[in-house]
Amino acid sequence: MDDLQFRRAIYADPNNQDAETIAAQQQDPSKKQFAKEISQLDEKIKQALHVPVPDDLCNKLILRQTLANHQVHKRKTRVHLALAASVAIVGGLMLNFIQFSSAYTNLGDYALAHVYHEQGSFENNASNQVTLASLNKKMAAFDGSFSKALGNLISADYCRFDGMKSLHLVYQGKTSPVTVFVVPKNDQLNFDSDFNDKQLFGSSLEFSHSNIIVVADKNESLDQWQQSISDTVNWSI
Amino acid sequence: MMTKQVRYEALVKALHGDLYRYAYWLCHEKQVAEDLVQETFLRAWRALDSLKDEKAAKSWLITILRRENARRFERKRFDMSEYEEATITDTQSVTTEQQIENRWLRDKISQLPPEYSEPLILQVLGGFSGEDIAAMLDLNKNTVMTRLFRARNQLKEALEAEPVKRGKYNG
Repeated sequence: MDDLQFRRAIYADPNNQDAETIAAQQQDPSKKQFAKEISQLDEKIKQALHVPVPDDLCNKLILRQTLANHQVHKRKTRVHLALAASVAIVGGLMLNFIQFSSAYTNLGDYALAHVYHEQGSFENNASNQVTLASLNKKMAAFDGSFSKALGNLISADYCRFDGMKSLHLVYQGKTSPVTVFVVPKNDQLNFDSDFNDKQLFGSSLEFSHSNIIVVADKNESLDQWQQSISDTVNWSI
Repeated sequence: MMTKQVRYEALVKALHGDLYRYAYWLCHEKQVAEDLVQETFLRAWRALDSLKDEKAAKSWLITILRRENARRFERKRFDMSEYEEATITDTQSVTTEQQIENRWLRDKISQLPPEYSEPLILQVLGGFSGEDIAAMLDLNKNTVMTRLFRARNQLKEALEAEPVKRGKYNG
């Protein structure tokens, strides 16, 4: 290793631990002396570079980070709160929608479904009779009454007709019971004057505050039922 | 959350001194250096998860600090050339001879062109190898070694040119 190379290596890194530079130092005392000088210079540089660090810098750094973190945290919780509120509102709306919206869009479909659902509960030849007086008592809730019995009334009860309080009447029919619904008017279900499926058919009569729906099997004459209902029902308003 | 906080505090305690000194030698001003270190650590906190290897923390922080320093010049370039930078540096009471010599050497270091002083500071203060410095400064290793050589050479020449006795002689 020549002198220039050695000097360059030492100048560039006084703590150079290359085998070559160490060997060169051991062979030549003047090189060793030079390396020592530069090492001393480096020590001085190191001391000079060690400017005093402000005492409170460390604490300031931690404080600043804690404050910044706190702000981020606050912003985050606000976002979380807003998210939670939105989810709650959407959830509430959905629940409302599911619970209070009807699965059926018109009177006919619902009436048929209702009749099928309760088909097993009524016997055409059942012996129990509901009197005209007790029927009219119930009809009072709809501000109406019947002037005479339409036929053999097997059952008269309030029931839920797509969530609305309504009167469910079951009459004895020719082969199977005839169902009559008295339903308050409502915008949710479309009025359907005539409807039918394979077994049953029905028709609706529109009055000022209520609809009366008749559902029977195909042996019955719906016109006749409609006629007698129109003739006997009286509305007090 | 807690572990991140602990990591951060450990990082601050271990490295704020080195980082402050490095910043000081980059900008030669105490207040600016302090601001730079604060910005650097704030950025480091936000990106702490990306620091996988704790051994690389120092060079990682120095890289952030250099970027911050560059950004400072993008924002606004203060014209410092009217002042002798040497006169802005430490003017605290100097008593012992060692301290006088330190001060004189500091002046000389701050007069070095930044491309020479920066590798020198990284080597002496940071304890980085030639390869590390080359990676940090985006230079090749030979360039770094040459600059280190020139930096020390200039300091040594300045030191030798100085009379053995400094100061004023009156009377």
